[in-house]
Amino acid sequence: MITVKNLHKKFGQLHILKGIDLEISQGEVVVVIGPSGSGKSTFLRCLNLLESPSDGEILFEGESITSRGHNINLTRQKMGMVFQQFNLFPHKTVLDNITLAPIRVKKMEKNKAEAVAMDLLQTVGLQDKRDAYPSQLSGGQKQRIAIARALAMEPHVMLFDEPTSALDPEMVGEVLDVMKKLADKGMTMVIVTHEMGFAREVGDRIIFMDQGQILEQGPPEQLFGAPQQQRTKEFLSKVL
Amino acid sequence: MKFFTMFWEYRDYFFTGVQYTLLLAAIGVICGFILGLLIALVRMSPWKMVRFLGNAWVEFLRGTPMMVQLLIIHYGFSQLFGVNFTPIQSGAITLSINSSAYLAEIFRAGIQGVDRGQGEAARSLGMTQGMSLRFIIIPQAIKSVLPAIGNEFITIIKESSIVSIIGVTELIFQSGSVVGITYNGMTPYLIVAVIYFILTFTLSRILGVFERKLKASDNR
Repeated sequence: MITVKNLHKKFGQLHILKGIDLEISQGEVVVVIGPSGSGKSTFLRCLNLLESPSDGEILFEGESITSRGHNINLTRQKMGMVFQQFNLFPHKTVLDNITLAPIRVKKMEKNKAEAVAMDLLQTVGLQDKRDAYPSQLSGGQKQRIAIARALAMEPHVMLFDEPTSALDPEMVGEVLDVMKKLADKGMTMVIVTHEMGFAREVGDRIIFMDQGQILEQGPPEQLFGAPQQQRTKEFLSKVL
Repeated sequence: MKFFTMFWEYRDYFFTGVQYTLLLAAIGVICGFILGLLIALVRMSPWKMVRFLGNAWVEFLRGTPMMVQLLIIHYGFSQLFGVNFTPIQSGAITLSINSSAYLAEIFRAGIQGVDRGQGEAARSLGMTQGMSLRFIIIPQAIKSVLPAIGNEFITIIKESSIVSIIGVTELIFQSGSVVGITYNGMTPYLIVAVIYFILTFTLSRILGVFERKLKASDNR
């Protein structure tokens, strides 16, 4: 579904991603872990070109999204993204946050968009917040709305950029629950996270990144149970 | 007492003055707002040349007196290019372009002040750059700089007095006429001062209401 070939990203002198190769298949839940500064987030943000790669190629559903002349807006409609800082639109109600893109981008009718939104609000357990503004919500609620907002575009893949890192500990669970439900429904997901327990439980494949490279990858049992690389062992011994 | 009797006696003068002042200020505010927003966007263009033109516009209009701009547009243009604007037209154009420079700076600050994540969230949903600006960035930017915009609007009302020098019969011009007729060098000016104050104070109240309305989303 997503193919990444020799992806490089440089910020000036800083070489953040040093040649990433990866294949993500339909329905797979890929969890990216690694120390801060390892390039996990940058890698994720390259997937929908929020960061433009310095070199390499990314294919989404067989189409090269990094080639010149490719309309990234069309591709982004099929790639939902959830941010660490939620990034809800503060001047819009919860319902408007969710329906804005379907109405404006997909030209969906307002009634239909609102029906879809109400369904999604039910999925994330926040129907009663439809008329609230983001400032009236807790962090966990904001993030669940952000997930609903991304899902409203009916994406083929969901990208999660440290979705629980900005949350108070007691709110982490409610967000992870929603994500788990999503994974169970067969959504293709790429998740950057520090929640190792969650990674182990939900991930089909764990990717360990360090210094801009994929150092090791494999199913959770293998990566957490019997890591091959010394660096992976060190990292896991610190976080587990 | 003279204040009220004089105001009543020359009410037609003052009334005409208020009309022209309001007309000029309204045009200045509306055109300045639209033009200012446009210039702000131009100044954030990815193309260097376009940015340069936007910067030059702002720097020139901010760096020269409005009176000079007015004289150039009214007299200079007619002599050099043969375009003859009526005094009202010249006044309206000057006020619009002059305020556009200040408003462009205000808008730019507002747009740059909106969190980067907002634009990223919008783009990640498939919105174009234009949609992101229109639905997400600009509404938040305007909200955050509304007090500064209000200041600029009030400035426009007051600065419109400058166009009296080319013979627009706005408040200052009219008060001068009343001074000429009555040989009273104080009262007519006091009257227009009060009128200006009523105009600006009313405007700032209206903007206050508007600001509170936009703050609805900030309530916790």
